[in-house]
Amino acid sequence: MNQFKWRKWNNILHRDIGYTIVALVLIYGISGLAVNHVADWNPNYRIEKHMLKIEPIASQQKDEMIREARTKLQLSEEPKNSFRPDPETLQLFYDKRTYSIDLPTGNVLIEETKPRRVLYEMNQLHVNAPKKLWTLIADLFALGLITMALTGLFMLKGPTGIAGRGKWFVAAGVLVPVAYWMYFMYF
Amino acid sequence: MRIPITLLSLLVLTVVAFAAPKEYGKKLTLKETTKISDILANPEQFAGKRVLVEGAIIDVCSHRGCWIKLASDKEFESIRFKVEDGVIVFPMEAKGKNALAEGIVSVKTYSKEDLIKQGEEHAKEEGKEFDPSTVTGPKTVVQINGEGAVIK
Repeated sequence: MNQFKWRKWNNILHRDIGYTIVALVLIYGISGLAVNHVADWNPNYRIEKHMLKIEPIASQQKDEMIREARTKLQLSEEPKNSFRPDPETLQLFYDKRTYSIDLPTGNVLIEETKPRRVLYEMNQLHVNAPKKLWTLIADLFALGLITMALTGLFMLKGPTGIAGRGKWFVAAGVLVPVAYWMYFMYF
Repeated sequence: MRIPITLLSLLVLTVVAFAAPKEYGKKLTLKETTKISDILANPEQFAGKRVLVEGAIIDVCSHRGCWIKLASDKEFESIRFKVEDGVIVFPMEAKGKNALAEGIVSVKTYSKEDLIKQGEEHAKEEGKEFDPSTVTGPKTVVQINGEGAVIK
């Protein structure tokens, strides 16, 4: 009877899971870098702001203000919504664009929101914004990563395997999060 | 003719899917809405209570999508609907749309120092300028700790 060649199957598993999840590893890795620095930049959107000057808005009623502002801004389309955060400001909301009008001066701040294509989609998948089926896919991906890590330990035998120099690399990899957590908690 | 009909059906389905109200987080459980102006007028009366509110989304957390600001039914008033980071992610495209949102009313008083710190952090995240002299003293902040929302 042939002996079960566990290392061969271990390596096949490692290789084929690796091929299967390479796209997801790249998505989570790239968006991980982007989202890690969320305090310094916006990884999802590019928000462009520019100022415009129109004649002051004289109307006193909100509906009239909107009409007057649209005429002065040459906006043919009705806004999706409008809001007055304070007595001197009128905001008009359009698709991906907001006009904030300072009524007495006619200064207009236009904010345009543009998603960072590809990176936006990657980040949404990374934070599991779609929920539903993506939760299952993300769980399978996590299991795939765990399997990759464990099978990776036993791919090689001899001096470069886990029993040889490999154990020192594994120990160093364990030490980094443990030591950092101790430092974070007690210093 | 088969291909154009298929394409047309797909287009119609896509339009319907985008036009349909989108649910975020848990399903709404309340049927009756509470006026945002009522909450803001008597926050202590609503503190800790579950409410369903309706209003235009006038701002969205651009970095994490972790809050939206809803316009009140009265002018010059709004309320923040804050969700746990990552549990719900509101897209910036929600700005200007109408939302039905359910959560628990939170009423907290912050010291001047806390408000300055928060203001600086918020300004840094939003890439805006913050003037600490605009904070004059302690402030009571009313917000809704959000659990679920439907954006139309």
